[in-house]
Amino acid sequence: MIIAEHLKKTYIVKQGKGLFREKQEIQAVRDISLQIEKGKIVGLLGINGAGKTTTIKMLTTLLSPTEGSYFLDDIDGVKYPVEIKKRINMIAGGERMIYWRLTAYENLWYYGQIYNVSNNVLKERIDTLLKLVGLENKKDVPVETFSKGMKQRLQIARGLINDPQYLFLDEPTIGLDAVVSKELRSHIKHLAKEQNKGILITSHYMGEIEELCDYIYIMNDGVLIKKGTVKELTTETFNRKNYVLRLDKHSKEITECICDKLKVVDATVEVKDENDAIYINSRENISMELSRACMEAGLYIREMYEKEPHLEDAIIRLSREVHHEAVY
Amino acid sequence: MNLKVLYGTMKKELMIKYRAYPAHFFVGNTLTGLYTVLGAWMMWKFLFEGNMAQDFSEITGTGDYISYVVVGSLTYLFVVRTCLNVSRSLITELREGTLESLMLAPFKRAEYFLGSMLVQTLTTSAEIIVSLIIAIPFGIDLSRADMGAFLIAFIVSLYAFFGVSMVLGSIMLYTRDTYISQNTLFAFLFLVCGISFPVQYLPEWLRVIAEVIPVTEAVNLIRVTLLSGSGISEQMQSVQYILLLSTAYVVVGFMQMKRCEEIALEKING
Ligand SMILES: Nc1ncnc2c1ncn2[C@@H]1O[C@H](COP(=O)(O)OP(=O)(O)OP(=O)(O)O)[C@@H](O)[C@H]1O
Ligand SMILES: [Mg+2]
Repeated sequence: MIIAEHLKKTYIVKQGKGLFREKQEIQAVRDISLQIEKGKIVGLLGINGAGKTTTIKMLTTLLSPTEGSYFLDDIDGVKYPVEIKKRINMIAGGERMIYWRLTAYENLWYYGQIYNVSNNVLKERIDTLLKLVGLENKKDVPVETFSKGMKQRLQIARGLINDPQYLFLDEPTIGLDAVVSKELRSHIKHLAKEQNKGILITSHYMGEIEELCDYIYIMNDGVLIKKGTVKELTTETFNRKNYVLRLDKHSKEITECICDKLKVVDATVEVKDENDAIYINSRENISMELSRACMEAGLYIREMYEKEPHLEDAIIRLSREVHHEAVY
Repeated sequence: MNLKVLYGTMKKELMIKYRAYPAHFFVGNTLTGLYTVLGAWMMWKFLFEGNMAQDFSEITGTGDYISYVVVGSLTYLFVVRTCLNVSRSLITELREGTLESLMLAPFKRAEYFLGSMLVQTLTTSAEIIVSLIIAIPFGIDLSRADMGAFLIAFIVSLYAFFGVSMVLGSIMLYTRDTYISQNTLFAFLFLVCGISFPVQYLPEWLRVIAEVIPVTEAVNLIRVTLLSGSGISEQMQSVQYILLLSTAYVVVGFMQMKRCEEIALEKING
């Protein structure tokens, strides 16, 4: 298990030109604590510049934290970064992290050497990984001739070359087509559930996070603002219910009639009439009352369902709330 | 120690550098050899021929300036080539976007840099041999060479160049520069380290600086073993001095490199 507590990272950048440049401190991560269990997929969310990549770089020992503690299976990551490196790997979106002048096979071979993977294991592993990312037919082609998505796929294979126990994924599906990202998602699930690896993933595709993550951390401006399962996060943020109702008949009068009947149960109810459906927003579960109201009015229900709030809406809402608090 | 990193890095560099243009590489080698020897010969022809300073043979123990300057220039070529390759390795990784994926791995830095050094040693040696053949008609005289002693001198010198590369490499990574710092340094080495004239001709203060750059003593050692046929036992003091001084460079270089690695990683945004 990975346990990170109160991580903080301050970048020092030099501003301006010439000899007398001013030093400026950028607090990219101000206070992050998180845990990653083996076999679990953890999501790290936040808008651009929230500090996700910086957090991942600290957890992968590319950056040493300015403050805070970091333990991976009881190994002190701040003191023994090399021991951490042996047990992890990281995949970032984009076309970096591979040698363009080498072929796909040579890339994986070289990374296998610097990870000290024994040669007979390595050969088999390279074949498996190339198959996994669908590059087995391109293995002897120089990477510079690859498309963006192919480079990205090779990078994914690179991230698995040392068979890491923990894997960090920084926007891994960026630039991938629908088919490949779907395959990657199912492989990520396989890695966690079948191979018991601990995984941390960041992504701006909420569908992906919702599909994959057992637990989610949301950060904004370098601090953690919320954590929980997808369900917890969405229901906590959206305590009101949303219903969609379609009837056999449709008119303004009918909508008003339903609205009146519901107001008796929940005074805060809002009923909107749009296209051929009626949208109801209420504080409480009113599905019983809703169907009774329709029956009493002699209307047939063609369709009625509760709209589940999406994680995406939760993120937007949360970041906006934090922003408002900061401003006012 | 299984040397996987060393072997892997050598193979990687060979593949990246020479696979694409082997013909260019060969022609390039021959040309550098020719230019180096030609440069040395011109220096002799226009600067020193006839009016060689009286004390030259006293100081150097040889009156054969053309051999003196060819060996000096070729050693200098070696310094430039190996130093460049080693010191440029990490900044190249930075530019190609592979520094982070490299640094994610728990690999041994010493093997990585040695691998880089050895690749360059192999290819530059080929270059030097070509140059020596070209130098024969210009009158280079290696008849007194003590090959055993030279071999030891060569290995000791490699160590010295490695130390210099590590220090230069950390400076380059820190300044993210490959041209200004390297060219300034190489021009300085050329003038100060006794490449084309003995350091004794330098002002006192420059001579002191020359003595603490291991290249100076290394050039001397190579020259003595190749040109005056001195055995290595007579040169033990010189060997010890180079080894000691270079070790200081290697230690400082590795420490600085680690520090500069961290700084370089902090500067990568996104
Ligand atoms: N090397 C650096 N030097 C200085 N500031 C940096 C550096 N890297 C990141 N920052 C700053 O730190 C903050 C957090 O950046 P970070 O890359 O961690 O965000 P992120 O959550 O990954 O964003 P995105 O969704 O855009 O990838 C930003 O304000 C960024 O400008
Ligand atoms: Mg990022």
